[in-house]
Amino acid sequence: MSKPCFLGIDIGSLTVKAALLDADLHLLARGVVPAGYGGQEAAEALVARLLCECDLAPYEVAYTVVTGYGRVRYDAADEEVSEVSCHARGAFHLCPAVRTVIDIGGQDSKAIRLDPHGRVIDFAMNDKCAAGTGRFLEVMAAALHVPLEEFGPLALKSEHPVSISSTCTVFAESEAISHIARGAARQDVAAGLHQAIASRVYGLAARVGLEAEVMLTGGVALNVGVVTALTKLCTQHITVPSDPQTVGALGAALYAWQKRREARIISGA
Amino acid sequence: MSEKRYKKLKTAVELQRLMQWHYTAARLPRLGRPLAWVTSGAPVEILRAMGVAAVYPENYGALCGARLQAVPLCQIAEAHGYSPDLCSYARTSLGSVFDPEHAPMRGLPRPDLLICCNNICGTVVKWYEALAQYYDVPLFILDTPFIYEHMPVGAYHDTPLLAYVMAQLEEMIRLVERATGRRLSLERFKQTVHLANRTVELWGEIRALCKARPSPLNAPDLFVNMAPIVVLRGTPGAVRFYQHLKAEVEERVKNGIGAIPQEKYRLLWDNIAIWHHLYRFYNYFVDYGACFVVDTYTGGWSQTIPSGELLEGLALAYATVFLNQSLEHRVKMMVDLISEYSVDGFVMHCNRSCKPYSLGQYAIKRYVMERTGVPGLIIESDMCDARSFASEAVRTRIQAFMEALAAG
Repeated sequence: MSKPCFLGIDIGSLTVKAALLDADLHLLARGVVPAGYGGQEAAEALVARLLCECDLAPYEVAYTVVTGYGRVRYDAADEEVSEVSCHARGAFHLCPAVRTVIDIGGQDSKAIRLDPHGRVIDFAMNDKCAAGTGRFLEVMAAALHVPLEEFGPLALKSEHPVSISSTCTVFAESEAISHIARGAARQDVAAGLHQAIASRVYGLAARVGLEAEVMLTGGVALNVGVVTALTKLCTQHITVPSDPQTVGALGAALYAWQKRREARIISGA
Repeated sequence: MSEKRYKKLKTAVELQRLMQWHYTAARLPRLGRPLAWVTSGAPVEILRAMGVAAVYPENYGALCGARLQAVPLCQIAEAHGYSPDLCSYARTSLGSVFDPEHAPMRGLPRPDLLICCNNICGTVVKWYEALAQYYDVPLFILDTPFIYEHMPVGAYHDTPLLAYVMAQLEEMIRLVERATGRRLSLERFKQTVHLANRTVELWGEIRALCKARPSPLNAPDLFVNMAPIVVLRGTPGAVRFYQHLKAEVEERVKNGIGAIPQEKYRLLWDNIAIWHHLYRFYNYFVDYGACFVVDTYTGGWSQTIPSGELLEGLALAYATVFLNQSLEHRVKMMVDLISEYSVDGFVMHCNRSCKPYSLGQYAIKRYVMERTGVPGLIIESDMCDARSFASEAVRTRIQAFMEALAAG
C-alpha cells in the first residue's frame, strides 16, 4: 500500500501553484501554471498533472490545504489557510533562520515577521493599490515593450535611473511614458520603475521590522532587478529560494500534513 | 450556522425610541427653543442649561453610514467641490445640507447657532465655518490646545491653558445669550452637569462590566448604545436608558451570558466604528470566537466633569479628551485597557476619514505590541464611505491575524 501524500495549492491572481509532499515531508512534485479565469480549473488541471507525474491516485492524497485569493472557491480542499500563514510556514521550512518574509505576488505584497519557532508575530499587507506588486511589473514591462523575463536584467544595465515619483500604477505608467518621450534610455526607465516598486515594498517591510534573515518569495522574487534594488534599500542580504513562486503552496502542503496529524490524534486513529 | 451570532439586547427597543424622539423633537415646533448644531466634543451642558436644543452632525453622519446612505451624500459634497479626502462625516453632513431631499430624515433641521470644539480634530473648524457661511448663523469655535508628550502631567491644571479655555467658555456663554436672548441659570447648569456625570458614570460602569468572561457586550453593542451618551448626555432620558441597559448587562454577567456564542479570544478595538459594515464586519471575528470586549472610541465619553468650579471642571473635561493628547498617552491607554480587560489581541481601524485618530497608528501598534506582547492588526477602511472598504482584502487580513493568534 502506498504512503499518503499531502497537497498544498496556492490560487493567486495571476498564477496557480501546487506542491505535493510525502509523509516524511519530502517534496514529491511542484508546479506553476497561469491562473486563467478564477483559477479553479487551472488548479484542478495542475493537481491532476502533479499526481500523474508521481504516479499517484487522487485517493492517496490524505489532506489538501488551499490558500491564495482563490481559496474560498476551491471546493476540493479539506481546509483553507491564509497566504500569510502559508508563506511563513513555507519560508521557515526552507530556512529556519528566516525572521522576515517578504512576499510579492501578482496583486498583493506582504511582509511577515516570524519568531524563532516560525510563528507569525506581525505582518503588513499593501493597501488597495497595485504599486509594489507583480501586476505593476507586468504593466510596466508592456509599456516599455520588454518581455517580462528580460525586464529585471535590463534594469541592471542602467547607470542613470530616472525618478518615478508616483505610487499609483496607472500614473507611474504615464510617468514612464513621459520619460521615454523625453528621450530617456529604456534601461534607465526600467531601473526607475524597479526602484519605485522596491521602495514601496521596503516601506511595507520596514513596518514589521527587517530582522535578518530576510527571504523574498512570490513570483516577483524571480526578477533580479527588484531583488537588487530591494537589497540595496534593506542594506542586508536577501535570500531567494530556488523556487520562490511555490513557497506558499509548500506552506499549504505543510499545513495539510500538520492538520492531518491533528485530525488523527483527535480521532485516535 | 445553527446558533445566532448576535444576541440582541432587550433595551434595543428603548434605544430606538429614545433616538427617534431625539431627532423628531428637534424637528417639532420647539416653542421658541433655539437649535444648535454641535460637535461631539463640545460642552453641550451649557446649552442644555440654557434650554437650547442640540443636534450632532457627527451622529447624523454615523446614522447615514449605518443606513448605507452616506456614500450618495458624500458624492453630493464632492460634486460641490469638497475633496474625497475630507472626513466622511463632514461630507455626509454637507451633502445633506446641499440636498436635503436625498438625505435621511431630510437632513437635520436648520440651526440657529453652531458650536464647534477642536478637541477632537481640526476638520470640524472648517466644516463648521462652511455651515456658518451657508446658514448665515453665529459660530463659536472653542480652541483647546493639544497636550503634547513633553508637557507636564496635568498640563491643564492651574496653567494659562486652563485660564485660556475657561475664558473662552465665558465668551461662549455670552455669545449664546446674545444669540438666543436666554440667560444661563447657575442652578440649571449645576443640575445638567450632575446629570451629565451620572450618564457618563453609568456608561463607564457598563463598559467595565465587559471585563467579565465571557464579555456581555461586543463592539457593535457598544457602538450602537453609545448614541445617547453622545447626543443626550445631561438629560434625564439618557440616565434612565443607561440605568436600564446597565441592569440588562448586569443580568447577562450574572447568568454568564456572553455577547457571542463562544468567546475564545478577547479583542480590543481602536478607532471609530465601520458603520457601513457594522454587523458583517464584526461577525467575521465572531466566526473565530473573537469578541471585542473593549474599545478606545466609546471610552471617549467616559470622563466625568470634575467637581468644584463649574467652568473649570468643564474646561478640564473637554480639553483633556484622549484625541487631544499625545501618542504616548494613547499607547498607555491601550496598554492599560489590554491588562484591565484581559485582551488577547487588538485591531486598529486605519480610518481614512479620521486623521487625528489614525495618524500614528503604526507607531502606537508597535509600542503596544512591545509593551504587552499582545499582537495587533491594522485594517484600512473608512467609517462612512463604504467605497474605501475592500471586503476580500479585509477578510484575508482577519483570517491571517486569527490564525496567528490561534497558533500563538
